[in-house]
Amino acid sequence: MNERMLADLFNHLETVVMERLDDGSFRLVGCVPNWFKRFYPEAVSRKEGLRLQDNSPFLENFCIDAESFWVGKGAGRLKSGTFIEMDPLGDEYAMEASALCSREKKILLIELLGTAYEDRKAVLQKARENVLFREYLEEEVCRRTAKIRLREEEIALRLVWATESRDKDTGAHIRRIGLYSEALAKALGWEPQQADDIRIAASMHDIGKIGIPDKILSKAGKLTSEEFEIMKKHTEIGAKILEGSDIPLLQMAKEIALGHHEKWDGSGYPRGLTGKAIPESARIVAIGDVYDALVHSRIYKPAKPEANALVTMTHGNGKHFDPKIFECFLRILPTFRIIRQEFHGTETMLYLERPQMTLFRRP
Amino acid sequence: MIKKKICMLGAFAVGKTSLVKRFVKGIFSDKYLSSVGVKIDKKKVIIEQQEVDLLLWDIHGEDEFQKVQRSYLRGSSGYFLVVDGARRATLNTAFTLQKRTEETIGKVPFVLIFNKWDLKDEWEIDDKTMDDLSKDGLMVVKTSAKSGQGVEEAFLTLTREILEA
Ligand SMILES: Nc1nc2c(ncn2[C@@H]2O[C@H](COP(=O)(O)OP(=O)(O)OP(=O)(O)O)[C@@H](O)[C@H]2O)c(=O)[nH]1
Ligand SMILES: [Fe+2]
Ligand SMILES: [Fe+2]
Ligand SMILES: [Mg+2]
Repeated sequence: MNERMLADLFNHLETVVMERLDDGSFRLVGCVPNWFKRFYPEAVSRKEGLRLQDNSPFLENFCIDAESFWVGKGAGRLKSGTFIEMDPLGDEYAMEASALCSREKKILLIELLGTAYEDRKAVLQKARENVLFREYLEEEVCRRTAKIRLREEEIALRLVWATESRDKDTGAHIRRIGLYSEALAKALGWEPQQADDIRIAASMHDIGKIGIPDKILSKAGKLTSEEFEIMKKHTEIGAKILEGSDIPLLQMAKEIALGHHEKWDGSGYPRGLTGKAIPESARIVAIGDVYDALVHSRIYKPAKPEANALVTMTHGNGKHFDPKIFECFLRILPTFRIIRQEFHGTETMLYLERPQMTLFRRP
Repeated sequence: MIKKKICMLGAFAVGKTSLVKRFVKGIFSDKYLSSVGVKIDKKKVIIEQQEVDLLLWDIHGEDEFQKVQRSYLRGSSGYFLVVDGARRATLNTAFTLQKRTEETIGKVPFVLIFNKWDLKDEWEIDDKTMDDLSKDGLMVVKTSAKSGQGVEEAFLTLTREILEA
């Protein structure tokens, strides 16, 4: 095959073949396809080599790699990857350059990609649109789930508040207990889903008070021991209301209702459980409930300053409270204070704000 | 005349091509035409009476189908990391690319762009995250290739930084 035939062949393949000269310019081998003339009109007439690098920053960059490939007498082809050039009329052409060594000669090919490129582009385009659509759907599911959760939470809080409105506990108390418990759960390393659940479940801890007669529930003075025995029943009544559900949130709520008056040393009620036999959720709520009761006034007692409340509670560490959770409580006390400040009112406060978008950080 | 090469890096569909189009030609299109391959645009800017020719390398988006070749990064005086404010995963891609770029060409100035500012209501990346990033010493610019907001600022900020480097 002579050189002309070869060049003809390359023309068919829409490829320009060039030899790299010692002065760094390129000599065309064979005839020049029309598309190439749009970029290098001088290519035909010119006797000396073309300086491709001066016109195309992409080729200029590729020539650096090509150079080391030629010098190293690399085998096969070094490909540049696809690049797009615009002709003077503004039409775009996708090309790929490759370097190869042939009989001691440094050869550069520039190939017009044409339909193969268009096909590849169409496939990639579709693939990316699909990924975008999938991302969008996932986002949408998250958004809607968050909305449903918010509604669930508001419904739960309103009902809990309704059952407790005979008690002097306020909606704000219910809200705070949930938030304290969530904060503790997170600090203890619970999964976000579980921490979310306890925020709602904790608010139901005293739901069993619905079954306690008014005269006991609203009594201003100290309860007699018979009255106190009846009052204790709110734990079991609450558990009855909540038990037997498949919903994890309600299962947790049941544990809490039943166990939030248990004490670490076994002196609590209704079952006198000790230590880890008390569900962790109930141990968490016990701390938040006592803290909140101490620092706020109730009909039967005035509020204590926080410092005094902490002294009282520290006496209960290891007796009333799980020491590990208590330590955690002390560590995140600033969070408890923020919650108190934000939900200090005695009004119901059941309208929920959209929860803060969870922040994400650099990995 | 000074020539400076700037690479547009980021996940696909974050708006790299749109930012270049807006900056160079002043146009925008809503239609998504994913880039396959590298396209280089030129734009002259004047900074403090100094003319600078910017070579803007619009590189295809990084994803499982196409990786950004390291040799494309060579000779860059600076680069943009473009993030779509409404797709938080694109921030992670930006940091992956940042790391790879720094490994390849060393430390050169870069600007982190949060694009699609006009869709702010749908953004997943909140102000605090962005503020934290600027507090970490990163240059952060919010842009909209659609409205043009912040685009000029982003390019001029990076160019200025490059001239000072
Ligand atoms: N609303 C809005 N849309 C934008 C903005 N910037 C880009 N888009 C749209 O986002 C889509 C992707 O934009 P491109 O510029 O093609 O993104 P790219 O980063 O070059 O994408 P690849 O080339 O695939 O990597 C297109 O539909 C654009 O119209 C913006 O600021 N606002
Ligand atoms: Fe109780
Ligand atoms: Fe309570
Ligand atoms: Mg693009």
